[in-house]
Amino acid sequence: MDNIRIIPRLDIKGPNVVKGIFNEGLRIVGSPQELATRYYKAGADEIIYMDIVASLYQRNLDFELLKSVANHIFIPLTVGGGIRSIGDINNALRAGADKVAINTYAVKNPNFIKEAAQKFGSQCIVLSVEAKQKSVDLWEAYIDGGREKTGIDAVAWIKRAIKLGVGEVMVSSIDKDGLRGGFATELCQAVTAFASVPVIVHGGAGKLESVAEVLKLANPDAVAIASAFHYQDYSIKKLKNFLRSKEFPIRQ
Amino acid sequence: MTKITAKYGLPAKVSFCRKCVMSNQKPSSTVEFKYASGDKKKTIAFDAAGVCDACHFAEYKETQIDWKKREKQLRELCDRYRRTDSSYDCIVPGSGGKDSAFASHVLKYKYDMHPLTVTWAPHLYTDIGWRNFTAWIHQGGFDNVLFTPNGRVHRLLTRLAFKNLLHPFQPFIFGQKNIGAKFALKFNVPLVFYGENQAEYGNGKSPKENDIAQVRPEFFSSDESIDTIILGGVPVKKLLAKEGLSRNDLDPYLPVSARALKKQKVQVHYLAHYLKWDPQENFYYATKHTGFQANTERTEGSYSKYSSIDDKTDPFHYYTTLIKFGIGRATYDAAQEIRSRKITRAEGVALVRRYDQEFPERSFKDFLEYIDISKEEFWRIIDRARSPHIWKKEKGRWVLRHPIE
Amino acid sequence: MKKKTKLAILDYGVGNLYSITRAVANFCDDFIITDDPEVVARVDRLILPGVGSFAAGMAGIRVRSLVDSIKQFVQTGRPILGICLGAQLLMTRGFEFGNFTGLDIIPGEVVKLSGVGKGVKIPHIGWGQIKPSSSGKKGVLAGVSSGAYVYFVHSFIMQPKRQEDALTTTIYGESRFCSAIRHENVCGLQFHPEKSGAVGMQIINNFIKQT
Repeated sequence: MDNIRIIPRLDIKGPNVVKGIFNEGLRIVGSPQELATRYYKAGADEIIYMDIVASLYQRNLDFELLKSVANHIFIPLTVGGGIRSIGDINNALRAGADKVAINTYAVKNPNFIKEAAQKFGSQCIVLSVEAKQKSVDLWEAYIDGGREKTGIDAVAWIKRAIKLGVGEVMVSSIDKDGLRGGFATELCQAVTAFASVPVIVHGGAGKLESVAEVLKLANPDAVAIASAFHYQDYSIKKLKNFLRSKEFPIRQ
Repeated sequence: MTKITAKYGLPAKVSFCRKCVMSNQKPSSTVEFKYASGDKKKTIAFDAAGVCDACHFAEYKETQIDWKKREKQLRELCDRYRRTDSSYDCIVPGSGGKDSAFASHVLKYKYDMHPLTVTWAPHLYTDIGWRNFTAWIHQGGFDNVLFTPNGRVHRLLTRLAFKNLLHPFQPFIFGQKNIGAKFALKFNVPLVFYGENQAEYGNGKSPKENDIAQVRPEFFSSDESIDTIILGGVPVKKLLAKEGLSRNDLDPYLPVSARALKKQKVQVHYLAHYLKWDPQENFYYATKHTGFQANTERTEGSYSKYSSIDDKTDPFHYYTTLIKFGIGRATYDAAQEIRSRKITRAEGVALVRRYDQEFPERSFKDFLEYIDISKEEFWRIIDRARSPHIWKKEKGRWVLRHPIE
Repeated sequence: MKKKTKLAILDYGVGNLYSITRAVANFCDDFIITDDPEVVARVDRLILPGVGSFAAGMAGIRVRSLVDSIKQFVQTGRPILGICLGAQLLMTRGFEFGNFTGLDIIPGEVVKLSGVGKGVKIPHIGWGQIKPSSSGKKGVLAGVSSGAYVYFVHSFIMQPKRQEDALTTTIYGESRFCSAIRHENVCGLQFHPEKSGAVGMQIINNFIKQT
């Protein structure tokens, strides 16, 4: 088993890191540069940086801001938010991204994934999925910052996107987002059960035990955490020590 | 060139606030039970710099108020009214939405009051609305009285209000405004807490004039003869004579007796006068304390998932404000979020452009059935209500003369 | 203290230079990003970054007439560091999407990462531990402990012909593969030091300082 990556996630709006609940709300929780640098120094394995309003406001992410964040961190940086063209991907990479996460545009134009993966390599293209539970074993994919239904089965969409060439999948639960009440473990299980590419799970990290639980039950390759870190429920170090004590392979 | 007349007594020239996205066409709060069709609307005022009243109030709120002092006043108020026998000491009207969830919870659990929550039912409950309502009671932990007016009367009044005033939400507003005082009188509870003063949203008065602790009684009480009252654009006399309604049918909509309020010494306060009101922070609070959930998707006509989500007919309330004033739901939501500094004006403009004119397709069928009119009649009424100073026809489609800028 | 040295980062059209540039800037004041053979000839050290396919990488080098210039650089004994694709291109040939000739500076082949075992995913994305060979603890790996974590993003691996050219190995799943190569002044890292936090920065600093 490879090392499970612990990845702080920064939701960006304008010049701020914000954090919502159920993908709603724009409460400011910090500065992007400050939080990214702090998490890098604290032992994060990667950083995820998502402009959560770019698709909603139909604008691009701020590449200058991204540069100022990327400047200080020397671990992998995944960047998403309003990525709609090969040019956007290029700009993100030039501004410091190592991987690019795409949701809204990929749902509307699945072949864009193929095009992007061929040009930049699969390992550079991450599928971001915001999923809401509809019924037992059925989740619907949402776009535009979790505000627009698509009628698309999230799990089926992920299968298709992997065939099209994404190198990694980040699956987020809208139902659990921001509550710090535990992950949507069934959703995570449904994805890790078949995914042939690494899976990052996100949405609901709460107590230390909740992270161990999703690792145990769903076996993802990485865990993205926002609220629990931003509100300082525990440090990265504390979480990593805890997980190691539970025998999970975690980088020191 | 023929002069373009402005309907409803609205300002002939459309302009937008420089700070938020509200336009000068926005009507101020009225005394609903005096509203006859053909009445001229008073509208929000802009100053010489092009900034609206509501933005001035928001600025005032941010910079001029000593919130520590206000909280102290709240504590004193609560101390005066708190009951330690088995009775309720305050009425909190609301739906279990983010604002009433916050108000009721903080009054009960922080300020040690014993609220009775009272709910004036939405026209048609949405699933999420009902879910949040029950979570409020079961998880938040409150006694609640849900008052649902006679559906047939409610629907009739809604139809009349739609046809005569293009204001289908009016019947809801009657109840919402008077229910606090009504139940205060019925249960002999002398203190009522509403949330925020709607005048925060602009009524031509200075911020200081609007910074009042108590709701102005003329909005929900009266001692005038019932003959002066107009519901759905129809005088009560005519409703009783021509529409087959009884006095009892109309009671839930009528203002309470001002005399009775005085006698029982009922006071109706704005909680937002004492605690700095932030609807988005209320959302966060409600998710934490009363099991509130945002909607699964944004409401049609806007981007928001947490604002006003419990009534299927609500989107038509906003659609009619779009038709009459050129202002849709996204404008209201964005203006509020700009004033509470959650989004910038540019972001608000992008949202207004994207969503404001969206037709509420999802609840259209329900709405037509609810007020029992045909699609054709609906559009006929809508189109005749458009003011030519706001709308023009271009290539067979209605477009705004002055879209947001 | 930043070292003044003339270092070039080669831009041959594949992959992203931002991160490696930032990392180098931490330790070096005097560096240039270039695709000009004349500049390459003049610098003291050369870095070959790169992310992408083997074929695209070689095409990028060829179209800029850099093949000879790199080989000559190597022959003069000046230090050269290949990273990820840049390291792979140092080999004789690569088998990604076909059979392509590399720079043939270190004999060996670039083949698909395989034998990782059931349920272990390709591409290999994540942190892995490097184990230096017995001679490997000096030079770029000075101060880097055995088992240090570095960051990998790849589906292909280097297989040097000469055993002694394998500088470090890494275990991924059931496979043990060569994660860095070295021969005299030439070094190639399969992983990304510019993404490997403090360990990676140490490696980059070592490269910049080495004589």
